[in-house]
Amino acid sequence: MDRRNFIKLTAITGTSAALTACGNPENQIIRFIPEDDLVQGVATWKPSICPLCNAGCGVIARVMEGDAEVFRNGQAGVVRMGLAKKLEGNPEDAISQGKLCARGQAAIQITYHPDRLDKPKKRSGERGSGQFVDITWEEAIKELTGKLNELAAANDHASLAFLAKPRRGRRLELIAQWLLSYGAKPPVTYELFSDEVLRRANASAFGSHQLGTVDLENARYVISFGADFLGTWNSAVAQSVAYGRMRQGHGNVRPKFVHVDARLTQTAANADEFVACKPGTEGLLALAIAALVDKTTASAADYAPDKVADKTGVPVAKIERLAREFAANGPAVAIIGGAPLAHTNGAFHAHAVNTLNRTAVNKSGGVLFIPQGAPVATRSLKEMIDTAPKVLLIDDVNPVYGSPSAWKVADALKRVPFIVSFGSFIDETSALADLILPDHSFLESWVDAAPESGSLKAAPSKFGPVMRPLYDTRSTPDLLLEVSRGLAKPLTGLPNTFEEYLNTERRGGTSVPPARAGASKEAPLPYADPVFDGDVSQYPYHFMPYASQGLYDGSLAHLPWLQEMPDPMTSGMWCSWVEINEKKARELGIEQGDLIEVTSTQGSVRAPAFLNPGISPEAVAMPVGQGHTNFTRYASNRGVNPISILAPTTIAETGTLAWSATRVKIARVGGPETDSLILFGGATRERPDWTHGRGDEH
Amino acid sequence: MVPASREGKRKKAAFLLLPLAAALFFVTAACTLTSPGRPQWNDSSVPRSRWGTDPVFTPARASFGQALREFIGSRPTEVAQPFDFSHQIHLSKGATCTDCHTSVEQGPRATIPSVNTCMICHSQIATDRPLIQQMTAMAEKGVDFNWNRVYAYFPESHVRFEHAPHIRAKVECSTCHGNQAEQTVARRAVNMDMGFCVNCHKQKQASNDCLTCHY
Repeated sequence: MDRRNFIKLTAITGTSAALTACGNPENQIIRFIPEDDLVQGVATWKPSICPLCNAGCGVIARVMEGDAEVFRNGQAGVVRMGLAKKLEGNPEDAISQGKLCARGQAAIQITYHPDRLDKPKKRSGERGSGQFVDITWEEAIKELTGKLNELAAANDHASLAFLAKPRRGRRLELIAQWLLSYGAKPPVTYELFSDEVLRRANASAFGSHQLGTVDLENARYVISFGADFLGTWNSAVAQSVAYGRMRQGHGNVRPKFVHVDARLTQTAANADEFVACKPGTEGLLALAIAALVDKTTASAADYAPDKVADKTGVPVAKIERLAREFAANGPAVAIIGGAPLAHTNGAFHAHAVNTLNRTAVNKSGGVLFIPQGAPVATRSLKEMIDTAPKVLLIDDVNPVYGSPSAWKVADALKRVPFIVSFGSFIDETSALADLILPDHSFLESWVDAAPESGSLKAAPSKFGPVMRPLYDTRSTPDLLLEVSRGLAKPLTGLPNTFEEYLNTERRGGTSVPPARAGASKEAPLPYADPVFDGDVSQYPYHFMPYASQGLYDGSLAHLPWLQEMPDPMTSGMWCSWVEINEKKARELGIEQGDLIEVTSTQGSVRAPAFLNPGISPEAVAMPVGQGHTNFTRYASNRGVNPISILAPTTIAETGTLAWSATRVKIARVGGPETDSLILFGGATRERPDWTHGRGDEH
Repeated sequence: MVPASREGKRKKAAFLLLPLAAALFFVTAACTLTSPGRPQWNDSSVPRSRWGTDPVFTPARASFGQALREFIGSRPTEVAQPFDFSHQIHLSKGATCTDCHTSVEQGPRATIPSVNTCMICHSQIATDRPLIQQMTAMAEKGVDFNWNRVYAYFPESHVRFEHAPHIRAKVECSTCHGNQAEQTVARRAVNMDMGFCVNCHKQKQASNDCLTCHY
């Protein structure tokens, strides 16, 4: 190339660059006049509440000016406004104490999600086709009030149902009050990982229908039965903070933490001692320890170590040692949560652990119950389906994804003539809706929480919006109140706005009586073997779906930061996997990444194998969260949904799903597929002893 | 000694390699970095973002031209603006810089005023002028000017400039922005490279520590 050619080439490159720049779309954007009066470049921190789980952590959002893509007066454009840029724990908050979990950090992505609904939508295609057209708020409200007026005219008020998340707080109270005022039945709540079994056990043992706060900070001996309390169970941030203080705050004494489970969870990996226990027998171990600690325990003789050793798989000597340690290292406390409570005999396990805890209630280093208002009366999903509502309002719950396919929730919803969803995203459930009336994000609206546990004293909180709404959305509580005023016969006794409601004292509802310590002298529930769906000869493995550290119960799978976050134990990300005991897998000729078919009596799913030394040879586990068919660009058609193959078994006492009660078989159906098992690196290094030193199997 | 013909070939190769290397650089810069599991946006029906840019942070530029301009450090002196604002007229009528650039004394940014600020005076003053009428119409519609930046640092410079400390140190606005009384819309009057900053910091005995300006 000579100099002339080089100059020519440069000229061509320059011209094409200039031409490309001409098409820069930024110059065509409409810019709206700023609504806030901000000093640019100076950050302020505003308080709010993380909405992602029931813990109700107080957060602070860093607010700075920025250019946001917004909708104003039906027009898209850019405006300079105060924008939340980062979330942290609120140091003033009794629950989060200035800390925040990874899920909470990612909560900010809800507000700026590219697939967030920015205006009301009406279904235009078949139910479930996901086809919607934009409509105005006036049209949407007119349609909803029309349907409610129709029901009222036919004196069929009871055919209105409201499906919401079982959160403690005034939002659900207002919804209940709104329904009561209309003449409908109480709201319906659903969540996959429900702790209702434990609440009920606490009510019968201690008189408090709520989860207790475990005072980990002051405990010297902690034994956890399956509770992933440092990861996904209950108030994980508060529990992690307290756990940290327990580890560091006792001078030369190192408190001991024992974890009993069939799988090495993130919490189990933190334990001083891991005790492998057969799934569905955890309560037996708890009662055996209780019987040794206190000989006066009712039915102590039935739970002698030699009687439970076989069932639990834990040797007599180990049970006796655990009991000695538990008795000698006070304050000692036991925690139960997660899989043990989701067996058909979950209530037994909860009662058993309460028996072990009976002297630890409302004491430093034990279990404390914070004063609570009476919970809102709710109905179960099954009851709602049975009553066949004619108008169904859904507030951010996705039971179509989060329930076993055998429940046929999608079919039941398809039979409901009119469904309204208030969700900010199209998911499997809101795709069935006739109207979608998107709520503000939590940072744009008034929020409140009344956490039932996590702190040692009651910590209800309420906060105003952190920033102005980006899009043409409306706060759901305010929308309900607006609708109530527009009815043919307007509802009475309701506030004007949600803000006004939050700023008035709670009416009615007696406070729950304080917990009674040592109440549980009564005989524990009789032990019944857990019932598993699937014959052991055909379906040899316990199936252990577990709450994903990032995606939780699947409701957070749309947040890319959480998809990108490696699982702490397997380092898996952006995918599903099946955890199989390392040695067992090798015996079966299964290698890491091989495509495995997991089959229950209800169906099968296929996912790559993850060879894990941290799972019992008798069990296979899968993280919940992936396998969405329609939930934003990040979650749709990614991995598989283990909930879909669960047996529709429920726990008799509560009617909640027994998600640990399924047996499965596994088969290798193919070799590793490209990109099907995505690991950040490393693997589970700890190798728990699944045979308690016998070494006779695996 | 290398024979003349071989030396010529080497030169030729160097000339060929240069544009090739440049092209490769730009293509790389324009491509989005992907993580192993991130969705590949093959489906054209999936909207990327409302403005067609990638929603995930990326070192890529919005256009090839932008990447090229930033690479060679080309910055225009005159920047086309959506409105023929005149600094000269306003300053000649006695307005001062801080009347409109309100937060220059309070924070990092001087702030370009919004139409609302303009309308504080112009709801009364010069309401018969076509430009003012055009602006009033915008204010009524709630639409603001989409000004183009005149001064800014490239992100790779990792410079964090704050106006307020400079105002407190009694640095005249004109030191960096030139005599605005002679300008209509703002021009790049001063080439603010690192030498310019460092010289002034030396003269005023301000800190020349890297972290004073860079992060």
